[in-house]
Amino acid sequence: MTKLVQTLILGVLVGGVYALLASGLTVIFGVMRIINIAHGALMIMGAFITYTLWHYLGLDPLLGVVVTVIVMFGVGWVVYFVTVRPVRRAPVTSSVLLTFGLAFFLEGVMGFIWGNSARGSRPGYVETSFNLGSLYIPKGLFFGCLLAVVIMVALQLVISKTWLGRSIRASASSEDAARLVGVNIPMVAAITFALGAASAGAGGAMISIMSTFVAGSQILWITRLLSIVVLGGLGSVPGAVVAALILGVGESLVGTYVSPLWSPALSIILIFVILVVRPQGLLGTKLREDVAQ
Amino acid sequence: MSAGRVARIAPVVVVALLIVLFPVLTGNGYYQNMVIISLVIAVGATGLNIITGFAGYPSLAQGAFLGLGAYAAALGSLRVGGSPFYWIPLAGVLAGFFAFLLGLLSLRTRGFSFAIITVSFLLLVRIIVQNWRHFTEGSSGLTLPIPNWDRAYMNWPFHFALVLLLGFSMLMAYRIRRTKFGVGLIAMREDEDKAASIGINTPTYKMLGFVCSAVFVGMAGAVYGYYITFVDPLGMFGLLLSVQIILSLLLGGKGTMWGPVLGAFIIEPLNEFANNSLGGGNSRLVIFGGVLVLVVLLLPQGIIPTVTRRVTTYRERRRPGLTGSRIELCERPRPATRSDPSAPNVLEVRNLNKRFGGLQAVADCSFGVPQGSLTALIGPNGSGKTTVFNIITGMMSADSGEVYLDGRRIDHLPPWTRAHLGVGRTFQITRLFGEMTVLENLVAPLREFSAGQLNRGAISGDEAARADELLALVGMTAYRDRPTSTLSYGQRKLVELAQVLALDPRVVLLDEPAGGINPTLVERLGELILELNASGRTFLIVEHNMPFVMGLCNPVRVLARGTTICQGSPEQVQRDRCVLEAYLGDDFVLEPKGVGNA
Repeated sequence: MTKLVQTLILGVLVGGVYALLASGLTVIFGVMRIINIAHGALMIMGAFITYTLWHYLGLDPLLGVVVTVIVMFGVGWVVYFVTVRPVRRAPVTSSVLLTFGLAFFLEGVMGFIWGNSARGSRPGYVETSFNLGSLYIPKGLFFGCLLAVVIMVALQLVISKTWLGRSIRASASSEDAARLVGVNIPMVAAITFALGAASAGAGGAMISIMSTFVAGSQILWITRLLSIVVLGGLGSVPGAVVAALILGVGESLVGTYVSPLWSPALSIILIFVILVVRPQGLLGTKLREDVAQ
Repeated sequence: MSAGRVARIAPVVVVALLIVLFPVLTGNGYYQNMVIISLVIAVGATGLNIITGFAGYPSLAQGAFLGLGAYAAALGSLRVGGSPFYWIPLAGVLAGFFAFLLGLLSLRTRGFSFAIITVSFLLLVRIIVQNWRHFTEGSSGLTLPIPNWDRAYMNWPFHFALVLLLGFSMLMAYRIRRTKFGVGLIAMREDEDKAASIGINTPTYKMLGFVCSAVFVGMAGAVYGYYITFVDPLGMFGLLLSVQIILSLLLGGKGTMWGPVLGAFIIEPLNEFANNSLGGGNSRLVIFGGVLVLVVLLLPQGIIPTVTRRVTTYRERRRPGLTGSRIELCERPRPATRSDPSAPNVLEVRNLNKRFGGLQAVADCSFGVPQGSLTALIGPNGSGKTTVFNIITGMMSADSGEVYLDGRRIDHLPPWTRAHLGVGRTFQITRLFGEMTVLENLVAPLREFSAGQLNRGAISGDEAARADELLALVGMTAYRDRPTSTLSYGQRKLVELAQVLALDPRVVLLDEPAGGINPTLVERLGELILELNASGRTFLIVEHNMPFVMGLCNPVRVLARGTTICQGSPEQVQRDRCVLEAYLGDDFVLEPKGVGNA
């Protein structure tokens, strides 16, 4: 019983960080109908930046997040204008292949800069835990999840309360209508993409505390994030959060009761099952383009 | 053969011969190896061309089929034993089988979801091979027996086996492009729902396309496995291999015969360069990732199509364009309408209901279309007319209700079967296959599905003759060989009408035929519809142009809030209180003037 509860606690904590990572990906899809396959690589970049700040400058990873987020917002901005913008109106194939290529390009660049051995930010408190009877909560994981929740709430406030958020929601529901009422679509798209990259960076910061990573981890991470957004329904933020918790707990259960070797397979199998049984996901709606005119 | 043709073909033949005879011409092992790997990638890219180039499905898993083939050969010869002559064909069968499975799993996915499912497939295969240790040796990989042929042969057997496989792949691709199967795949790329509505059995085509794209790749993978004598999960199921294959296809040119081969012979030398001069690893990632981004941004069509287009533009620079020349209107006596509202129904819908979330789009809608009639379906915007069309053609399924064609219930049938039985439709905003010519668009509709059909030539003489007849009928003969994307909106409407007629349907559903085209063309279209009706064709027409509808159709069905509120002759409908309130307006007065007799 203790083992089960312990497994569930760890799963929920990890799921919280997954939720932050996946919500950025799903918001980008909602606004511009592009699946950013480079999202995993952007996340790893955030992890490396946080690691560098901690390792070389001694900045605590939980504070380093602020710098990471700002840098990654800039990276997202540049990536958007240089690569994504020209293919916004192009067929699906173009944007998929473009971001796929981008993911590998970034992986290679990071490999050159940071080398190919496993890294992780390990300030002192990471090795300690809060203990509740026979249960334990690793501090690194706990703070990481807490911060992820704070950032997600902040993002949600931006989206629901600000003028920028209204523009983002308007563009997501109908780009043409939003343009007609004067929303500056290219700017909104750029900001959305940059915000997505920033949230990926923030999630990466947490991952750098919670586990180790190499540039090549990006591919497993993007698979995990894709399975979450597919399960939640493409474009749905609440769906992504629910799906992230499901996957976090699911992986934790598989890791404990089956074998850690098979927990990466869970997200992949999930993708297959959902796309076969319910392509629109848990909380997604059928896309407009599925309906004949 | 003309001198120009010789001049164009000769270099291709020379280069092809150089590649085929490469190991005979040089004993340099480095370059021989480079050519062999290029051939492997070329087979992969030629296969990928079928599903991605023709059918438009972006598959990121092509490398998986090479890996599966290599593993089949390795496991077969180590665990069972036996000659490569068994294991290479079996590897092809295995790859085909896995492609079939993947096709089955991805049947309901398109675009993004499809890309996601393919990349997941690749990773899943890798994880299974890694973790199934007692069978596959996991990450440590398997070592294949070294070939026992005379050292004097060197790499010749590998080279020639791959040349043969590439030859077969290219022949298959060449053949597919010239059959009904290939035209169907391209139609799916352009517009899958439309393809289904003109009788193309899209799921079967998709699955078959998948299998074709994998079989030779699996065999090439097996040869590759024997060649490098070592297989491991990271080498065989690495994503970078898939990236190289995709890149070869994109760079050379999707949908072309030689593009994938040209691309492979550029990408593999680049790979060797990155490995030997730049230290491999990260530089390969940067190069291939970066080149993929650049190709998508700067050379989306690929080398061969871009060059071909430049050459064509140069050749045709003085030729006057067709656009702007007049559509031939022919003066003929206006045929009398034969529409008989009391004839038995050819098409009938009963108690249809369809809900989109909280919106009841169609509510208990019932009406019939009498045999040989020109029936109109009118009603305000949002009254559910197009939804009813979608339900009749099978693009959407109703929540409840029945659809009958010639007394046979068809609402459980897929769209292409309904097209085969005789339901043809046009769309409110025309949907033609833009990259295909007018003629190709007209021979794309299929009136049945059979295994033999797949291998039939794309355009038979009969079909071409029939297409020409239809083109003459709608006055579009001059545009026969133009891609439909270059036509104007009105011209597309005419071509789409001809396309539907090629199905020889029992009933033609026209969705706003007169919308957005000029009055002369509306007039001409009205005459055309009357003419077709006079020869016995039944129509169901959705239209907002009241003079057009009232002058042409009888009976008229009026839809409001998803329900049929009134049915009858144009005169009855125009006097009906409900209709005036819901749609026409109290002040509605129609000039007593029909189409064509002004």
